[in-house]
Amino acid sequence: MGSYLSPLRGKGDCGMAHFSVSVMGKDRPGIVAEVSRVLYELGFNIEDSTCTILSGQFAMILVVFHETLQAVGEVSPSFEEVRQKMGLLVTVHPLKAEEVVHEKSFAGHPHIISVYGADRPGIVYSVARELAQRKVNITDLNTQVVGSKDRPVYVMVLEVDIPESVDRKELDGVFDRIKKELGVSISVRPIETLEL
Amino acid sequence: MPILPILQFPDPRLKEKSDPVAVVSDEVYSFVDDLLETMRASPGCVGIAAPQVGVSRRIVAVDVSGHRRGSQEENHGLLVLVNPEILAMGGKQLVREGCMSVPDYTANVQRAQWVLVDALDREGKQIILEAIGFEAVAIQHEVDHLDGYLFLDRVSSIKTDLFRRKRFR
Repeated sequence: MGSYLSPLRGKGDCGMAHFSVSVMGKDRPGIVAEVSRVLYELGFNIEDSTCTILSGQFAMILVVFHETLQAVGEVSPSFEEVRQKMGLLVTVHPLKAEEVVHEKSFAGHPHIISVYGADRPGIVYSVARELAQRKVNITDLNTQVVGSKDRPVYVMVLEVDIPESVDRKELDGVFDRIKKELGVSISVRPIETLEL
Repeated sequence: MPILPILQFPDPRLKEKSDPVAVVSDEVYSFVDDLLETMRASPGCVGIAAPQVGVSRRIVAVDVSGHRRGSQEENHGLLVLVNPEILAMGGKQLVREGCMSVPDYTANVQRAQWVLVDALDREGKQIILEAIGFEAVAIQHEVDHLDGYLFLDRVSSIKTDLFRRKRFR
């Protein structure tokens, strides 16, 4: 019976397979060109992608899809030459159709949380732990150390979605406690986007 | 009164200059109804321009009275502006804008703090009005649509001012 079903399955919605591809390594010119060449030659569509460079390390994540290729084993080995030649870590991960989400929703209220203070361990964790406990979703996180060598200042900027269910007074109270404990400044501001 | 489909970038019609309305006819009046219904159907939306629904005519609508910040500033409630012209502007403000025609991004755009606008209302009567704050931004954004400009054209740095929407289901 399987032999009857499998061609049908191949033609239906399941025929198109999505993968995430993550690429990491020392930054240099040509990484995007090489990775996109492999994808192009395999016949992939790049649906979504972003990249960044941190302390000289290049990192990129792409969501790609293919009309026929279904298995990671058919995709991942094609990156072997790029891995060797450019010293990159390339990981291919299969995505289920329901994991690929396009529709946007604005369920939570978007906010920017900025935190800064003398550099010390635990700043990110202290804040992230409290947010996680309250189901506040972090959608962006940037941290860096600024200031001089002898007086480093740690800066963290988070974009978060605060759900309706969160008690803002209680959350502010928790942040006040963290401010005292770690000697940092924390401010929470709504992102007021004008939807036009 | 149907909800009209919204054109999305890179539809070339969004980059065209719209034509002035010669007479504010019954047909224009009823088109404005559709335009308003379309604006209200999109959550949080505070403005719309005719070219966003594929109609190349100089008609916009703005209503910031339902916006969290906009409602706290001086505003005119619902404004329908036909053949709007910004006569003067002043001051500066940086505002995060989103647009139904550019659904995947938001951007920080520098706009004037105050505008003086000449237009016809939906009955065809000439009006001159001043707007400040978010309402002034909404008017500038919508009038831009009539000239074929999107907020993408007003962004000074893609690196620091353009944001991919990250909020998914």
